Amino acid sequence: MRARDLAKPFPTVSVDEDVLTAAQMMAAERSPGLIVCDPDGRPYTVLPGSQVLNFLIPRYVQEQPALARAFDERASDALIDKLVRHTVRDVLPKPADLDELPIVDADATTIEIAAVMARMHSPLVAVVGGGRVLGAITVSQLLSHLLPA
Amino acid sequence: MTAVVVAVFIGAYILIATERIHRVAAALGGAAAMVLLGVVDAHVAFFNEATGVDWNVIFLLLGMMVIVSVLKQTGVFDFLAIWAAKKVRGRPFPLMVMLVCITAGASALLDNVTTVLLIAPVTLLVCDRLAIPPVPFLIAEALASNIGGMATLVGDPPNIIIGSRAGLSFNDFLVNLAPLAVILMVVFIGLCRIMFRNAFHFDEERVAAVMELDEREVIQNAGLLIRSLVVLAAVMVGFILHSALHVEPSMVALLGAGALVTLSKLEPAEYLEEVEWPTLVFFMGLFIMVGALVEVGFITSLGQTLTDAVGGRFFLASSVLLWGSAVLSGIVDNIPYVATMSPLVQDLVASGGDTTESNALWWALAAGADLGGNATAVGASANVVIIGIAARNGHPISFWKFTKYGLVVAAVTIAISWPYLWLRYYAF
Repeated sequence: MRARDLAKPFPTVSVDEDVLTAAQMMAAERSPGLIVCDPDGRPYTVLPGSQVLNFLIPRYVQEQPALARAFDERASDALIDKLVRHTVRDVLPKPADLDELPIVDADATTIEIAAVMARMHSPLVAVVGGGRVLGAITVSQLLSHLLPA
Repeated sequence: MTAVVVAVFIGAYILIATERIHRVAAALGGAAAMVLLGVVDAHVAFFNEATGVDWNVIFLLLGMMVIVSVLKQTGVFDFLAIWAAKKVRGRPFPLMVMLVCITAGASALLDNVTTVLLIAPVTLLVCDRLAIPPVPFLIAEALASNIGGMATLVGDPPNIIIGSRAGLSFNDFLVNLAPLAVILMVVFIGLCRIMFRNAFHFDEERVAAVMELDEREVIQNAGLLIRSLVVLAAVMVGFILHSALHVEPSMVALLGAGALVTLSKLEPAEYLEEVEWPTLVFFMGLFIMVGALVEVGFITSLGQTLTDAVGGRFFLASSVLLWGSAVLSGIVDNIPYVATMSPLVQDLVASGGDTTESNALWWALAAGADLGGNATAVGASANVVIIGIAARNGHPISFWKFTKYGLVVAAVTIAISWPYLWLRYYAF
């Protein structure tokens, strides 16, 4: 089976969209991530949900998890405000890390898809054919195809 | 042979100072060269008190690192910082005073690096709540940890080396250097008021966000916290009484660590988490390198030359040692510096007949090495750690930004230490 057969329609977001919109889309679609497109609509990268959380939760809380208990409802709301003030571009890894994108060609085999996901620690890959996004494959879709029934 | 040994030592020292290779590799390489040259054998390296690895230093450090590993699991620093922020109702300058006092006090009892590692995250949290810049607070904490660390035998690794080599007790440090540390902290707080005056503007409405914090929420294990504080208090009593009890500080620390491990019921990975094995191995390599210099007689002849040069003028020697150590410690790691200087100072002190005047050389060396670390961003490990934490949290501190504050604090504190030494040991 090839990537084009596994690909399903997937929500995309512009790199200049605010992060709150992107996060709301992810929640509404129950998606582990989003395909990020540049202003011309070309696939740019994948924004995993974990990257949004990484941006949302201050580094000092990640390093000293006990401090998470100091966040009450109001403090949590203040964290969410941060998402409105930043774009998807701010949340993405720095450009140096974008040399390789979690994107596969429509003809890619399942093992090629799995290799891209594993190498890039990405829960989904965008499937591209003819210069446009055909859809995306999530890790759960891929595993259900790879594992014996 | 002496010339070859000295050349190997200088080569390894340059590698350590310039960090062209990892300092552990440089120290072990230097030690290996001394063995291959035939200067050091197993007896010289492991069993000779004058020329071998100073196991008291190694095991004192190990014991304290284990104690810190357990203490870290309790959330005590988060508790103290949030409590302090609420106590001063979020006003930035009093908050800074509280935080630097907590940092300095903790650094006197524990390792400086661990102290700033534990206090910095909660500082960022409180500053976030108050919407005030955290950088002045973080820089002040690094500087305070180096001043506080000077106060006791266990506060800073150079003090541990000096204490062991000179046979000075915990109380000797407490009596001679703790008063100086207190004076310097008072002056340092005044300096903070001036240096960071632009950081103390705040929004009254943000105070409510700080007052809503519940410090009890961050205590991860109340039972473990109580047990840890009881053991830490017992260890401090053990340090104070070690001379009377004829128990070495290293044994006190190891017994405390063992008690805490037993009472905490933590897994080995948890109670060994803060043990810096590379640092311990670095110390071992360093001791063997310095021991080789002693073994070939270089330290004795250099000590004799210095003794002749000093000619009984111990205040002059103290002054040179204080300022020289401060300058060098601002540039290079103060641990190898103190390890190298200790046998030399030992000779100088012995030449003075072990009097108050000659013994003051040890205090000049400790004060210079500890306080000099504040001079630059790379002068002390605590400075480097704070800069790293700040950068990871989106508040980069450049080398020069840190150094412009550190240099002022180092110069002022050394300038105050100078008359302190004179008044205390030479004037009357």
